[in-house]
Order: sequence, then C-alpha cells, then structure tokens
Amino acid sequence: MDKNLQEEFTQIIKFKPPLHKQRHQFVKDLVEKYKPKKVADLGCADCSLLWMLKFCSCIEVLAGLDICADVMKEKMHTLSPLPVDYLQPSERSLTVTLHHGSVAHKDPCMLGFDLVTCIELIEHLEESELRKFPEVVFGFMAPSIVVISTPNSEFNPLLPGVMLYRHPDHKFEWNQAQFQSWALETARCYDYSVEFTGVGHPPTGMEKVGFCTQIGVFVRKYPQTGESVQSEKPTAAVHKTVFKAVYPSLKDEKYLQNAVIGEVIFTAQIIKHRLMSKREEYGDDPERKSKFQPSVNCFSDYLGKLVVEKNMEPFFSGNEVYVPLATIFSFPKVNRLCGTFEKLCKLIAGKVPLSSDSSAVIFNIEHENEEN
Amino acid sequence: KTIGLQVSSGLQDLSLRDRGGRRRDYHDLGINTRQAMVHVQECKTGFSGRMIKLTTNHFRLTSRPQWALYQYHVGYSPEMEARRLRSALLFQHEEHIGKTHAFDGSILFLPKKLENKVTELFSRTRSGEDVKITVTLTNELPPTSPTCLQFYNIIFRRLLKMLNLQQIGRNYYNPSDPVSIPNHRLMVWLGFTSSILQYEENIMLCADVSHKVLRGETVLDTMHSLHAQVGEERFRDTCAKELIGLIVLTKYNNRTYRIDDIDWDNNPKGTFRKSDGSEISFVEYYKKQYNIEINDWMQPVLISQMKRKSGNIQGSVALIPELCSLTGLTDKMRNDFNMMKDLAIHTRLPPEQRQREIGRLLHYIQKDDNVQKELRNWGLSFDYKSVSFTGRVVQGEKIFQSGNMFDYNPQFADWTRETRGVPLIRAVPLDSWLLIYTRRNYDVANTLLQSLFKVTPSMGIRMNKPNMIEVDDRTEAYLRVLQQRVTPDTNIVLCILSSSRKDKYDAIKKYLCTECPIPSQCVLARTLSKPQTIMTVATKIALQMNCKMGGELWSVEIPLKQVMIVGIDCYHDTVSGKQSIAGFVASLNQTVTRWFSRCIVQSRGQELVDGIKACLQTALRNWSKWNKCLPSRIFVYRDGVGDGQLNTLVNYEVPQFLDCLKSIGTDYSPRLTVIVVKKRVGARFFAEVGGGLRNPPPGTVVDTVVTRPEWYDFFIVSQTVKNGCVAPTHYNVIYDTSQLKPDHVQRLTYKLCHMYYNWSGIIRVPAPCQYAHKLAFLVGQSIHREPNRMLSDRLYYL
Repeated sequence: MDKNLQEEFTQIIKFKPPLHKQRHQFVKDLVEKYKPKKVADLGCADCSLLWMLKFCSCIEVLAGLDICADVMKEKMHTLSPLPVDYLQPSERSLTVTLHHGSVAHKDPCMLGFDLVTCIELIEHLEESELRKFPEVVFGFMAPSIVVISTPNSEFNPLLPGVMLYRHPDHKFEWNQAQFQSWALETARCYDYSVEFTGVGHPPTGMEKVGFCTQIGVFVRKYPQTGESVQSEKPTAAVHKTVFKAVYPSLKDEKYLQNAVIGEVIFTAQIIKHRLMSKREEYGDDPERKSKFQPSVNCFSDYLGKLVVEKNMEPFFSGNEVYVPLATIFSFPKVNRLCGTFEKLCKLIAGKVPLSSDSSAVIFNIEHENEEN
Repeated sequence: KTIGLQVSSGLQDLSLRDRGGRRRDYHDLGINTRQAMVHVQECKTGFSGRMIKLTTNHFRLTSRPQWALYQYHVGYSPEMEARRLRSALLFQHEEHIGKTHAFDGSILFLPKKLENKVTELFSRTRSGEDVKITVTLTNELPPTSPTCLQFYNIIFRRLLKMLNLQQIGRNYYNPSDPVSIPNHRLMVWLGFTSSILQYEENIMLCADVSHKVLRGETVLDTMHSLHAQVGEERFRDTCAKELIGLIVLTKYNNRTYRIDDIDWDNNPKGTFRKSDGSEISFVEYYKKQYNIEINDWMQPVLISQMKRKSGNIQGSVALIPELCSLTGLTDKMRNDFNMMKDLAIHTRLPPEQRQREIGRLLHYIQKDDNVQKELRNWGLSFDYKSVSFTGRVVQGEKIFQSGNMFDYNPQFADWTRETRGVPLIRAVPLDSWLLIYTRRNYDVANTLLQSLFKVTPSMGIRMNKPNMIEVDDRTEAYLRVLQQRVTPDTNIVLCILSSSRKDKYDAIKKYLCTECPIPSQCVLARTLSKPQTIMTVATKIALQMNCKMGGELWSVEIPLKQVMIVGIDCYHDTVSGKQSIAGFVASLNQTVTRWFSRCIVQSRGQELVDGIKACLQTALRNWSKWNKCLPSRIFVYRDGVGDGQLNTLVNYEVPQFLDCLKSIGTDYSPRLTVIVVKKRVGARFFAEVGGGLRNPPPGTVVDTVVTRPEWYDFFIVSQTVKNGCVAPTHYNVIYDTSQLKPDHVQRLTYKLCHMYYNWSGIIRVPAPCQYAHKLAFLVGQSIHREPNRMLSDRLYYL
C-alpha cells in the first residue's frame, strides 16, 4: 500500500521535508554518486520513486516490482514518455518496466541490475517471504549495490498515534540492533559490505533513539561476474509484466535519422532563405547585382559562426539552390548529432534531395511563394 | 459540502476526474430548445431532393437492457480532507463496492446497485483512527441522463489512455508513429476525437481522426530565430505577437499551458514561492525536482493564467521557454501557403482513408483485453460498424445575373466559367480612383491596369484611367499619398504592395476604414507577376472592387418576401488588448444582394448582447429606409458560438433580439428565426458510391439519425473540397416563429451559401456569416476599432 501516506498526518509537522521525500532524496543522492545504469525498485507501490529516478540521466533501465498490481497501475502512466520526449528524443536510452510479482520469487527479468532499492519493503513481508528475500536479492540478482530501508521501532514512542506498528500491514518493525544483525548476517552470507545510516533525525537529546527510518547500504565485495553467470541460472519467468515503456532515444537509429534529417533540412533552409532574401534585395536592380555576394557568415551567434571556404558557399543554378553538405555539417547542432561527415551522408542518403555528386542539398525554388 | 442530490452536482464533480479541472460541458447537454417550437415537435425533417446513401463516423453504443448507473454520496466521519486518503479508505472495501468504480472524493459511481440504500463501512487510518464511511444512494441514472453521457465520455477517455495514446488538450494522440515535416520543423501526430452523445434514436460514439501539429523546437529556439529575423528593436513585440495565445507542452509533465504573457523582467534565476511557503529559484527547482539543468539563465519567463472553477482566474504559472515546446499553428504559419500545402498532404485524408483510420481505433479497442475488460465491467459495448442511413441532395440553385440564368456543375459547386463576361447586376463605375505602387512595381501596375481595361467592359463596369501614383516602399509614404490625394469623389484606392508585411496593409486599411472612409483594395505584387494568370486575377480584383463600392454580382431566387437576413460572427483578438470583435451584417434589399454592417469592439469579459441589440435596431431602420416598410421575417445566422455556449445564447441573446423587436413598436411583431451555425463539428458523412466512399455532393442535407432529439437541427454539406474530407456544417434552429416547414428553412440556408461575392461558388456557411467573419477579422487583425459608419452599406471588408 501507499507508504508515503502513512506519515502524512503524524509526521509532516515533525519532518521537513516529509520523511518519504527524504527517503527518495537519499536514493537519488546515491544514484548521483554511483551512477548506476540499471536500477530496480522492489516494492515500487505507486511508482513515485521510479518517477523521480526516470529524470536521472545516468539510468538506462528502470524496473519496478510489486505484489499489488492495482497500486502500480493507478499511476503507472506517469512513467510513460511525454510528448516532448518524442519531439526531442534524448541522448540516452531509457526503458521502464513494471512487473507484478513477489520479491520472494526469482525471475530472469530481475537480473543484471546495478542498484536495487527496497524502500520500506521488508516490514511488509511475511516470515516465509522474508526468509527467501536475501537469496533472491543478494544471491540471485546480486547487484553491486542494495539499499534497504525500514522503520526503526525505537522511534515509535515519539510518533503520535502509533500504537503497535506504523501501518496496519506491517508484519514487524525492528529496532536498530535487530535490523543491523539481520543486515550484517545477510551481508556476510552473500559477500557484501554494509553501512548503516537513516533519515529523520531524532530530537536533540534523544540521539540514542536513532533515525526514524533506518537504512542499510550494501555494496558487493566481489567484482561483477559477467553475463555468463546469469545464463547459468535458467529460471522460468514468474513475474507478469504490467507495463513497459521504451523512451525515444537518439541511440535508436530511427530517431537519430529523423533528428538529423530534420536538422539538415532546417539548416539548409536557413541558408537558402538568406541567399534568396539577398537576391530579392538586389535582384531587381541590375546595376547593384554585381554587389551581390552569397555569404553565410552573417548568422547570429546562436546558429554558430562558420568558417566560409570557397567550396562551402551555397549557390543558384537555374531554378535550384545548392547548399553544400559541408556547410551544413559545420553547424554545431548537425555536427553534434552526426559526429562524422560520413555518418551524416549515410543517415540522409535517399531521404533528402541531393545533387548528383551527393555533395549538396538541392531545393527547387520555382514553385515557392506562388500564392498568398 | 452539501449532499449532491441534483444531477448537476454529480456532473460537475465527475468532470473533476477528467484532467485539467475544466468543468465546461462541451456538448451543450440538457438544453432542450425543440420543445418550445410546436411546429417541429412531431417532425423536423425536410423532404425535397433525391435520396443518397450515406455512412458516417458514428458508432452505436450498446449496453445491457436494464443498464443504469448508480450514483452514491460518500461521507466520512470524522471528516477526512485529502482526496487520496478518502479514496484509499473507501477502496479498502472493494469486496463491498466491487472493483469497478469511479470516485472523485465524494461522489461514487457504480455499475451495480448495492444491497442497501445506505451502507456503512468502517476503516482505520494508518495512524489508527477509526473512520465511519457512509455510502448513500442519491440517484439511479438512466442511460440517457446527461450525467450518464458525461460518464460514458470519461470512461471512453480512460480507454484511450489504456491504449497508450497521449492526451494533448482535449484529444488523444498516437506518439509512436509521427509524421515529420522537416522543412518546417513540424511533426504531426495522428489521434482521435471522440464524443458519446444521445442522438436521434441511439446513444452513439462519434469518432474522428484528429491531427496534432507539434514543433520540434523549444520556445527558446523560436525566440532565438525571431531575434535573428527581426532584430533587437522589434524583438519583444514580435515575441508577444507570435507566442501569446499558443499552447505549450513541457519537458517534465504531461500538461498543456497557454502562454498568456511574457515576463521580460524575470529569468530562471528568479524565485517563486512553493506551496509549502519556501522560496526557490527556477534553476534550483527544476534541478531538484526533475534533474533538469537550465542552460540559458538570461531567458525571460512565460506566464500562464490558471483557470479554475467557473472561469475565475486563480493565479498564474511561470514557465521557462527552454523547457517548453510549442504545439499547433500560429496565424503566421496558417498564412504560409507552402507550409499549409506540405501539411495538407498528411492531414487531408480522403474519405476511404479517413474511415480506415477510424476503423483502426475501433479495432484497437476491440482487440485490447484490458479495454474490453473495462467495458465489460461497466456493461458497455460498441457496435463496431459505423451507422448508415439515407440523406437528401437538394436540387441545385439557379444563378441569376442581369436577366441571365445559369446552372452550374454541382460537382464543382462553382460558376466562375459560366458567368464570365456577363454583365453584373449592379456595376459601379470607376470614375475617379487611385492606383498606388512602388517604383519596383511600375510594370506590374501597368499590366494590371491594362488587364482591368480588358475585363471590365463585359462586366458592365465603366472605368476611367486612374490616378497613377508612385510611392516609396514605406508605410509613411503610402499614408502621405492617401492623405494628399484622396478626395471626396474618390471611388476606390488600389494599392500594390511589394511584400506581405502586415504593418503596411494594416496602416492603409486603418486609415481608409476609419479617418477617411473610402473603399480600398490591396494586391500583392507577386500575385500579379505571372502572365498566364493575370486575366483571372484581374477579373477577381474587378469583381471584388465592385462589391467594395456597393455593386451587386449575382443572385439566387429567394421566395420569401419582406425578409431580412442577419449574420453574426466573432473574432477574438488574443494579442493586442485582448479584445473581442463581433461582426454584424444584415441584408438591405429583397434580393439579398446588398448588406448593411456594424462592428462591436469589446474588451475582455464584456457581454456581447447589448451591442448586438443596438446593431439590430439600426439594421431594421436601414431596412425600412430601403424598403419603405419593416421586414415581416427575420433570420439570424449566428456563427462564432463556442462549445458549451449554447445556453448563454438561448437564455440571453435570443431574449435580447425579442426585446429589440418589441422596442420598435407595439404593433410590430415579425417572425424571428435564430440559427446557430457551427463549422467545427465531429460528424463526417461519406457517400457510398460503387462500393467505395466519396465525399457527398454539395446540397446534401442530413436531418435524421445523427442529429439531436432535443434540438431542431440539421447538417448541410454545401461546399466541395479538392482533397480530403468535406466537413458538413451544423445548423441548430434555437428559436423559430417563422411557421416555415423545416424543408424551407434548410433550402433558404443552402441558398444563402451561394451568395458570398468573394467566391463565385458555394461556400461552407451562409454568406451573411462569412461577411460577418470577414468584417470581424479585418477589424480584429488590422483596424482594432469600429470602422467609419459611412461605409456600412458596402462590402468594404471583403
């Protein structure tokens, strides 16, 4: 269930920002520090942590797992790409997947992650599930980092209205010693190191109570064993995929090509317009025609200054305007997208009208501005 | 909060669940105007014309026989504030209320009835507080109730979301298969509009293809290119003109915002107050909240007003240009012929293709398990085959011009060729007139003049040599010449402009429509530069100038006597001064070939009705001056009515018309008909021809099946289109004491679509609407104040 809600009435007065936000911020800081590429959130509930993480630019694979499909489904659309993500595809690729299933079961879809977060998860597990949990996370998934947070029961007397547990669905709430001994044992067993911290500082004078939420950060001690190990564990899929979103990315040839074609034509148009407006300005006046010099170096800084070489100048030929690809390639945006001139040529081949030697973009200006 | 027993409160709260918090009823539900018109109570259909087999984009909604929606009020004790909490507490009892529900925090809709009228449920909050939830049945809604219809629409939108379509504004679009138009940096997404309504006999889904034009650049990109185009001096003004009123999408959420203002004194380093009261800068906020780095710290900030409950402005939102993408087209883009041509290739779908795309949506709905499950849970389903029925094609009109009678080819709905070289009904001589041009355009001006001398004699227009005046290509130069050379005898001024720069055109129009009321004609030099089209162009210019001076071109037979036809349309000027302009035109003569006009310029928030009343009074006075009596019948064609504004029209505007007529004299009681004209409708009709689908021919009238039972309404397809699908025009007769048969009202309406003098063919709306539109547009775009009343008996605004 929604674990962010549980403290809303009681603790919002005490913790600023609210505790659930502090927990998320903690994870985000960790992500900033270790830059994991693949992150899985176990017990992702309403996907709010995943939503926050999708903005972290280092992450390329995000997965969520929860035992309750309805709670995930309610807000899962917030994980879909936005219209703008399609309009301006990003450099990085990102895939977000949600699975419906139990953290006590092994599923190959949960393999290969760098960071696994279990925020306020373990206290919801039945004893049998809790027993299988370390083997699944540390033994099977074996990411380089695992974050586990759980309520610190020593803090409970300070919270108004908390009788036994902070949430009716909690199966247990541990004190610091209980959590730490469980964590140390788990770490030892699976060759991880663990450090303890938390969020939600106790009031001054009561520091002994510890953080309101206790957190263990586990770091794998042995190096990555590579893909081969994973394939050695053929496990049948048990989780059900309820959501999958592949974000548009320039890493995908389709989007890169679209972006390059768009940028090339747009840039070529700007150059052409400059050329044409020059001609229009002087065109009707024969004695001034000689002054006309096609030149493109008067662009604003925004478009980038270019070095104008002789063979890079656009020119007219009959009803056609030729804009050399070399000129277009010298524009920073095009340059950044393609990297090399060869790549540029490859991407636009057949998609943009080119001169016979493929060195320039051609525009036919005969039918332009026909009507208004 | 009081317990919502009325339907309306349920409706309002329900629409909250729909995104955006807008509570407008776009479908004008529950406004029953037909019941007051006794003569159409039994039958509102016409009879003339030949039958035609049509299909449409409507699909029947089928529900199980005893379908009803149960509306419950949900109360909490102790009172719970947060909506999320209220939902969470209620849904702990899914075993009681079921898995299928719609809940907005206080009103619950269920597809089945709970055992008891009042159900008490007990929940416990996470802090251990016990809460009693009381679920009380407040309404059993039949499938046809307005709330139910609203509800269907919301459910359907849920389905579209389940199909992974993206919501932009009111409609849903498919982002995975965009068409990009790199020439103009545009992207087109294919999507769907949908509405479920009670039609004549059935509740139906009307689904249509919609295209969303998006731009592959940020607002900041656009600002940079504007800066490069116009330079520092005009930069801010240009930005305001180009950007204000546009809808933007943001990089970080799935909402749309309208740009209402640009704050040049602010920048991303500026701070704002968060809901918790703390100050934070934009730069910091976006970094913290979305991990987004703002690169340009000098850019201004966009302001968007937030509209909430009943349209009150409730504060504003600041947006960073770098993080916003533009959607839709600007006026400037719409005027870009090449751009529109490139767009049309993708957006104008011919009938078969359009129907295929709509079919695809229904196919998705049909094959998606989740969607089908949701529909089943509510007990709803669709007929996946579109509705077919018969319409009528009324007979073509005869065109009369100076004693000659013409038929036109109904396939083209155009009589340019037939009437070429035939004298006009009333040709106004060009005795004294000015032709103004720049030095560059000397040749063009001469060519035009020679062509005009060639084409005018056969029209019966007597033309003297004009005063040829050469000017510098500057606005002031044009104005100085006008001030010096226009005399009271001047019939018309013809200006040849070298560019489509608006300021020159605006200045000329403003001067000649207000200070110095003389008809004027502006022509772009480029239009005249092609030798092969110059005669056609000259013909058109001659006709247009003749109308502007009070001439008459052709007529159709209007069997009604002593009738005055009124047209009203609005233009909303979003840029300068945020004013609205209503154009008002009224016929002056028996043949409906001369028009009186008035314009109402009003600031934002002002009601239109007072101005219209005064216009109608003056129009009646003028009519009686021309005809030596008052009209015994008045037809008002009212265009420019937005979705959801029908109520205002029925309750305020019509009574004002009646008041106005009463004020003329106690013994004066003409027959009044008020017809709301709507061009933007979702309905599309396709003629079944030889196994394929075609556009229905002009004159197609539809007044069954897809019309609304509570209205006296009909559709007419009057125009033809070269490519794409023809859009029918919807006519809703909201008031009618004419006692005329529906067939006659339909025929009159169709006849009036033949009377627009700027186009020798049939147009989409009755001529008075198009005249009113032209007038409002000219005033809104160029003049910005009421034109001189000396001009009001001529079509100077064409």
